[in-house]
Amino acid sequence: MTAYEPEIARITGIEELTGTEKLFKIELSRDRFDHLPGQFVEVSVFGVGEAPISISSPPTGEPRFELCVRAIGNVTNALHRKKPGDLIGIRGPFGRGFELKDFRGKDILFIAGGLGLAPLRSLIWSVLNSRKQFGEVFILYGARRPQELLFKNELRMWEERKDLRYLVTVDVGDESWKGNVGVITTLIPQVEFNPRRTRVVIVGPPVMYRFVIKSLKERGMPDENIWVSLERKMKCGLGKCGHCQMNHLYVCQDGPVFRYDEIKDVPEAI
Amino acid sequence: MFGKKTLVVGRPAFFDAVANIIESGTEVFAPVRYEDQANFRRINSVGEVLWGKPQTVIPPKFIIFPQSETLIRYEMNGGINVSSTLDSKPAVLLGVHPCDINAIFLLDMVFSEKNVDEYYMSRRKNLIIIGADCLEPCSDESFCLRKDSLTPWGGYDIFLTDIGDRFYAEVGTKRGEELLSKIASKPSGDDKKKLKKIREKRDRLFNRSQKKLKPSLRDLPRLLRENYNSEVWGKRGEKCLSCGSCNMVCPTCYCFDVRDCLDLDLRRGERLRAWDGCMLTDFTRVASGEIFREERGARLRHRTSRKDLYLFEKWGKPFCTGCGRCGIACLTKIVSPIEIENEIYEVSKR
Repeated sequence: MTAYEPEIARITGIEELTGTEKLFKIELSRDRFDHLPGQFVEVSVFGVGEAPISISSPPTGEPRFELCVRAIGNVTNALHRKKPGDLIGIRGPFGRGFELKDFRGKDILFIAGGLGLAPLRSLIWSVLNSRKQFGEVFILYGARRPQELLFKNELRMWEERKDLRYLVTVDVGDESWKGNVGVITTLIPQVEFNPRRTRVVIVGPPVMYRFVIKSLKERGMPDENIWVSLERKMKCGLGKCGHCQMNHLYVCQDGPVFRYDEIKDVPEAI
Repeated sequence: MFGKKTLVVGRPAFFDAVANIIESGTEVFAPVRYEDQANFRRINSVGEVLWGKPQTVIPPKFIIFPQSETLIRYEMNGGINVSSTLDSKPAVLLGVHPCDINAIFLLDMVFSEKNVDEYYMSRRKNLIIIGADCLEPCSDESFCLRKDSLTPWGGYDIFLTDIGDRFYAEVGTKRGEELLSKIASKPSGDDKKKLKKIREKRDRLFNRSQKKLKPSLRDLPRLLRENYNSEVWGKRGEKCLSCGSCNMVCPTCYCFDVRDCLDLDLRRGERLRAWDGCMLTDFTRVASGEIFREERGARLRHRTSRKDLYLFEKWGKPFCTGCGRCGIACLTKIVSPIEIENEIYEVSKR
């Protein structure tokens, strides 16, 4: 067995989240599966190829996890055609994830843009599952349109919870949308946070980081209190194939999770 | 660790030894001339070996890191059976020049560091490398001397220098020593003098005829870092055709793509990897369409910086060994690292 040989995994359930995103429940035949929030797996659809997909569920140690996948490329479209019971391949988990010890005892500001909620959900539920270990929790979420909001049931739960503050916005509303309209940065002035005590975690499309970080810096947020997870093309997951490289860093090994002060001087990062 | 040894071996005796290896069925690869070009090919007789110019168009890395190779095979039959395909057999690589030996030395480091690449390593362990000294520059584009690559850093089993009727053999491994044990003898004082004279003459010739590197070699990482935003990248990048030829002929480029190929029965298939190139537009393109290194100048900067900044700093050796192949292959003559570095050096002094 080589590092390129995937484990066979079964799709045990598929939930349609939006017109383009599905949540796949995956089960491996081994005893345990350990991962960190923010880590990813290479998913094989045999005959089509492999794609790097971040894990959407919080770590449980059980050989089961969830992947939120947008149908956008060859592999992800093929994955969307799969049915419960079908087999796929899994390699990983790969990369550096979020360590809960960096967040315990702190206030946390989660900022998710679009599909960025998929990896962030793993960390959000890890925090909410041991809620008492953390200070205040803010979740800011932005999507392009109301129908593109992911995990709607969970969004409702967050909205109703008294132990966190959840704010959502869409770039473009519709007749039924009564909430905020505007890009994600318009939510930042709506939350009160103490920059020293707060840890921010940002996951979203590449274009989002610069603007969100700028607004946070204007509020006095230190670089070392900001965490991001970056997207790049990844073929091997092993730090060899070269596609995910940004300057001297390999996102598949050194990331995808980075503390902002580690990459702010890496010109190709953000 | 194998202590370095030196031996001398008569040409006929050495050629006989190679003939015996070929006879035994072991694959022997060497530079072979065809028309006015050369390339590494499996040889059937030692007479085919091209010991000097011209340089091979493609470096010998393909013998251990093929242009395309199967990683896994699978069969979908209700379930899915997956198997890794590691195929490697003993082979000999003969007549490799220092720039390519050093490139393999570098590839050995990157493929054997954490997440060991079993495919590369299984072939590499089975490969005996017999190098050949360069006594004259192989092309006007080469600049190996300036990259400290006229002498091999390591990675060879035997390294031969032609001292007339005999080869002076530097032995790098136990394997190499065994190969020569019955046919070689200790060099005499005279042999050593001959070697010294040949090398001094060689060094003078290379120093006289190869292009000069204006900044110092060890200063290249700093030069590239400090001139990250140099106008040179954009100006040269403007002329880049994004063809990836420089990547394909480079002895140290090791980026690869991974893709699936399904048999016609739609039940069996394989996943293979094939050389990829950071100068190609789609190299960093993700499914959403985003291209993270879209400017040609930025890609040229990345390629050059990978050689002489990022990997140089990480491993302590330049990842361009000065073979000059990219400079020859480049259709618009923008890619040669030494020319880029000299230009950046000049511009930065203005």
